[in-house]
Amino acid sequence: MATTGNTATAGAAVEPAAFDSEAYQRRLSGRRHRRYIPIAAGMLMVVLMLVFAVLAPLISPFSPSAQFSDYVLEGPGGRHLLGTDEFGRDVLSRVIWGARVSLQVGLGAVVVGFLVGVPLGILAGYKGGGTEATIMRCTDMLLAFPTLLLALIIVTALGGSLINEIIAIGVALTPSFVRLARSMALTIKENDYIMAARALGGSPLRLMVRHIFPNAVSTLVVIATLYIANAIRTEAGLSFLGLGVPPPTPSWGNILSEGRQFIKCCPWLTTFSGLSIMLAVLSFNIMGDALRDLLDPRLRGD
Amino acid sequence: MLSYMVRRLLIAIPMLLGAMSIVFFAMRILPGDPCLAMMGDEATTEALEDCVRHLGLDRPLLVQYADYMWKSLHFDFGRSIVFQYTVSSYILGMFPHTLLLVLASSLVALCVGLPTGIFSALHRQNPLVDYSSRLIALLGLSMPVFWFGILLLIVFSLHLDLFPLIGGGDLTTVFDMIAEGEVFEYPEDFLAAVWDVLHHLALPALALGLTLAATVSRMARSAMLEVISADYIRTARSKGLHERFVIYKHALRNMMIPLLTIIGLFVAIALTGTVLTETVFTRPGLGKMLVDAIGARDYPLAQGAITVFTMMIILVNLLVDILYAVFDPRIAYK
Repeated sequence: MATTGNTATAGAAVEPAAFDSEAYQRRLSGRRHRRYIPIAAGMLMVVLMLVFAVLAPLISPFSPSAQFSDYVLEGPGGRHLLGTDEFGRDVLSRVIWGARVSLQVGLGAVVVGFLVGVPLGILAGYKGGGTEATIMRCTDMLLAFPTLLLALIIVTALGGSLINEIIAIGVALTPSFVRLARSMALTIKENDYIMAARALGGSPLRLMVRHIFPNAVSTLVVIATLYIANAIRTEAGLSFLGLGVPPPTPSWGNILSEGRQFIKCCPWLTTFSGLSIMLAVLSFNIMGDALRDLLDPRLRGD
Repeated sequence: MLSYMVRRLLIAIPMLLGAMSIVFFAMRILPGDPCLAMMGDEATTEALEDCVRHLGLDRPLLVQYADYMWKSLHFDFGRSIVFQYTVSSYILGMFPHTLLLVLASSLVALCVGLPTGIFSALHRQNPLVDYSSRLIALLGLSMPVFWFGILLLIVFSLHLDLFPLIGGGDLTTVFDMIAEGEVFEYPEDFLAAVWDVLHHLALPALALGLTLAATVSRMARSAMLEVISADYIRTARSKGLHERFVIYKHALRNMMIPLLTIIGLFVAIALTGTVLTETVFTRPGLGKMLVDAIGARDYPLAQGAITVFTMMIILVNLLVDILYAVFDPRIAYK
């Protein structure tokens, strides 16, 4: 900023310098705009997916559970754009409805993880001592389980349904949120404004809610975007293993898993559901990555 | 150093016990009776009572808990309900398949991920390299291993007919031949058996390895970036050393430490990856066993498999922590 300012003032006095300054400005803003391309691309895909999921009853050409017995295992094209499955159900409609499950679980699980993990993390980081030790030991214990394994254990215990999947993946994501929130609270609490707030007689609760949390929230939300990608992938994995939403409710994972028997004759079943999973995870990853780089380049590369 | 190792071990033990407790209580908060779930609604009252007694579910929860913890530490997980073997013998039979898959896919991931990660860190000024490497890494991160596996199966097994569709090869023959010293007697049979195992291993290892390569590549990239901005690299450069010398002699060697953390993190990811990979390729192993056990509601088997998974992950983390201190002695004194 300071450099640009200097060039501009120098440019007012000397003619050619002013020209350079403009070119420099243009180049700079061009570079700055280029950084928004991935965010825009990721966001566009995310919004598109949200629209598909919300408007599923309106835009899907058929009901996802309607069975057209004359069109069993029909290839893509024609009446059924993406083909049909072994019960003659329209794959396109099922993929569109599957977006609902993926997004509900993806967003829901991250909200659960956020709501449980962030308060615990801030509490641990702010209080320190025994509170911190207790919370962090429990977190470490849960972190010993990779997300999918922990979610698998919980879903096995609770049984497969949409809510249980959200709870399972949410709990599995919680330790990561605790860790992140704690490390942010540790840095933030060293700031002078925290000391000032405390000197003014702010209670610990007030400090945590009104001062630490608002300063951490933007980073937390950005990282949460990346966890949505993780949650969607985990959901697809659980559904694929037959532990997700029970059929006939379509989810990308169970369409893929059902299509596995037919990879020889009808590869479209696995192709379109797999592609949807990948695109969904990819768009949240791209958006989260770009937002994170924009917010704080130092966070890059986990 | 010794005190550091002891300290790490002392942290690992409560972690292991805690994680095992989580497994136990997760399996116990099951809605409904596991026996009822296993035997179905038609089961007679006597059969149900028999099952409850057989699983020891009639005892107080705390007694069951203590029993589970004590027996698990001896690798005694009871008997499988479906197969009637002891769970530990079943796990022992499956373990080599999973270990082989983890090792092979790690090898693939490291061979692909490390060079690309380092390359993209060194050439990050070139926007083409920077963008394409990041995009490929993102694609790899977003690719679900089970879909990638299916794509590989469609192309290489169904259409090109190069690899088998299912199975894990006859690993027991290989082990038996080694154990009984038949390796030198019938070298051709032995090589054929090994080849068969590798033939079955190729696609699963490729599927899991390539999806993991993205993670490795990203981690290697950031590790390299960290090393390359260190003071000793600037010193080496300002001495006038050739750039190649700086990278190979100074940067790469110092990257080994962050690399270890990568491998530690990564084995945990690879182990979970085996659950999905083995299911896609219908390959025997711990992961497939776990999924099948859950599907068949074979609780002793599922509980045993999860416990073994947890043990392995904690063990690997412990090992990495210790190796970390061996390579970088400063860690031990912190």
